Amino acid sequence: MSNVMIEMNNIHKKFGNNHVLKGVDLTVNEGETVALLGSSGSGKSTLLRCINLLETPDAGDVRINDYSFTASKINKHVKLEARRRTAMVFQNFGLFANKTALENVTEALITVRKKSKSEAIEIGRKYLDKVGLLEQANQYPSTLSGGQKQRVAISRALALDPKIILFDEPTSALDPELVGEVQRVIRKVAEEKVTMLIVTHEMDFARDVADKVAFMSEGQIIETATPSEFFTNPKNERTQKFLERYLQRFSYSI
Amino acid sequence: MGKIFDFQFMIEIIPSILKGIPFTIMIAVVGFAVGIVIGLFGALFKIYKVPVLNKLTGLYVSFVRGTPLVVQILLIYYAFPILIKLINFKFGTKIDISWIPAVVFMFIAYSLNAGAYLTESIRASILAVDKGQMEAAESVGMTMWQAMIRIVLPQAAKISLPVFANFFIGLLKDTSLAFTAAVPEIMGQAKIQAGRASRFFEAYIDAALIYWGLCIILERIVAFIEKRNKESA
Repeated sequence: MSNVMIEMNNIHKKFGNNHVLKGVDLTVNEGETVALLGSSGSGKSTLLRCINLLETPDAGDVRINDYSFTASKINKHVKLEARRRTAMVFQNFGLFANKTALENVTEALITVRKKSKSEAIEIGRKYLDKVGLLEQANQYPSTLSGGQKQRVAISRALALDPKIILFDEPTSALDPELVGEVQRVIRKVAEEKVTMLIVTHEMDFARDVADKVAFMSEGQIIETATPSEFFTNPKNERTQKFLERYLQRFSYSI
Repeated sequence: MGKIFDFQFMIEIIPSILKGIPFTIMIAVVGFAVGIVIGLFGALFKIYKVPVLNKLTGLYVSFVRGTPLVVQILLIYYAFPILIKLINFKFGTKIDISWIPAVVFMFIAYSLNAGAYLTESIRASILAVDKGQMEAAESVGMTMWQAMIRIVLPQAAKISLPVFANFFIGLLKDTSLAFTAAVPEIMGQAKIQAGRASRFFEAYIDAALIYWGLCIILERIVAFIEKRNKESA
């Protein structure tokens, strides 16, 4: 049995009267790429944000590899510990607008990981190279295309060497012709056995890149399976409906 | 006397009025610098709704914005001698109010005034920075302070620049009220010179031209900084 990177037990989250997460359980093993699917409003992004505590869960337990916490005991310190074990790639890139591409990658290495500037720059250049953006190292985000921005965000996440990288709809804000370059980079990262949890609406991409698919509906994960099993032989009725709708949309476009 | 407009007098007194410039600039710069520090804390108290301090900041901003600057200047100018008398009385000290130059009172008055206005404009600039920037900084493990200082505030400062520039130009002109507290800045000097020959119009024309000149120089500097800023991002 491989090392567990994420283990969530019975996670609950409410926004006012809106009960978004109703007891979610999720396990992600080391080196695994897990795609989190589900219709809009099913709680996928909220679940992701409950791992690095950009949202605070109301109840439940979370373990990030060697670090465990329980929802009722979350404070500033717990948040920092959780965030220092994870990295996130946002839908809207979340690049620091006042920093160059390279500085975006080195910033946390210097301020959080306390690496020397020269070491940070070396690491930063290595990871920018990995996503094919070494030439753009000194450009500001405003001068980069959406696809380039997201690749910088991915190299920033990789450089932190986190236990897991959380992707929150990484291609949803991109122009269609830029989706491919970002997906290719994520696929490359997956091949290197970096642990990833990806919220996405791109079914083909999920099928292609994921080792495991988790399907969320109405605040719960109702089905977890390998991609081939999930897409060809879904067990749950709601999963079947969801996939039918998706396939229908697909046939329309033909 | 006898002349309707004494051009020669107007030219003659220019050097004397120019002597007021250091006071004018000092009051504006100190008021602005301290005002930014006050404004930054005020803005953070308000944004993070810090208990008690949030309410006090609101009261302070409301008072300063709701009373004329000249009234604030006179309040500070007359409050201090009373305060020092009180300290002398309470602690048996013998501080002499005349040891403290009037310009120090003006530093306090203008700083408090600027701090209130800047609280509001800094607050607005911080809120104008995309919320995702703070989240992104937190997601890589930065503390709230690190994120504020390294990511959010530099972007807020950039947004603020035109507002700050306008404010500073306004402040520089408002220093002309410091003469009411006997500070020999440009306006004070103009009044002194005017009084010597009872030629007020000439002296005030000088004062107007000097303020105008200072503001033109400032506008040039601001335009230069803005241009450079645009190029860097």
